[in-house]
Amino acid sequence: MSENIPPAEEYNYRIFNGQGDFEGFPNMLRVGMGAPDFSATLLETGQEVRLSDYWRRGDLVVEFGSFT
Amino acid sequence: MAQTYADKGFLFLFVYVREAHPGEHYGPHGTMEEKLARARTFRERLAIARPILVDDLQGTAHHLYGLLPNMAYVIARGGRILFRSDWTDPPTLELLLNYYLNTREQRRAGARLTPFYAEFAGYRVNDRQQFVERLKIAGPQAVDDYLRMAQVWAQQAPPEE
Repeated sequence: MSENIPPAEEYNYRIFNGQGDFEGFPNMLRVGMGAPDFSATLLETGQEVRLSDYWRRGDLVVEFGSFT
Repeated sequence: MAQTYADKGFLFLFVYVREAHPGEHYGPHGTMEEKLARARTFRERLAIARPILVDDLQGTAHHLYGLLPNMAYVIARGGRILFRSDWTDPPTLELLLNYYLNTREQRRAGARLTPFYAEFAGYRVNDRQQFVERLKIAGPQAVDDYLRMAQVWAQQAPPEE
């Protein structure tokens, strides 16, 4: 997976040109599968956390998004 | 909604990813520091109470989950995916959460439930005018880029049901 990740400049595009095409919700994940784990920065504390830290505690509702 | 269902045992998280509609006022993230600062602005401007997990600058988590701008996932305790949608629509999520609460109650009452696989087409209210108003915060370029793409989508769209 990680080898397919483009450089940050490409990911953080400057001009919206239909990136994130809704026809393209990738099927590498399916309901019923184990959710992929990742680490991220918890904004409140600045600490690195893992998503699995949360799903160990209970059922999760996870929304992905940004400011704009 | 998050509060109502948090009381029923669902933990709500927000994963902050790349700017979908960069503009003159709020452009793309150039560094992790910028991304964190922008996430703070987002939290304050939209009064986000949920814990916010900021993805790394390359979008590692975003790539893993499908790269769309506003996806929703429901993940069971232990890490199994129960539901995912290519857009976050609160009424649809509410329907699902009630379904899982009901499942939980039935189990508690002793029912023997077998999991099965299902998909469905969602329908959401799409207020384009309101959406464009929000894009103005990012800057005129964000609005122009979106309206240009909206024309392309309109030409590609299948006939309305």
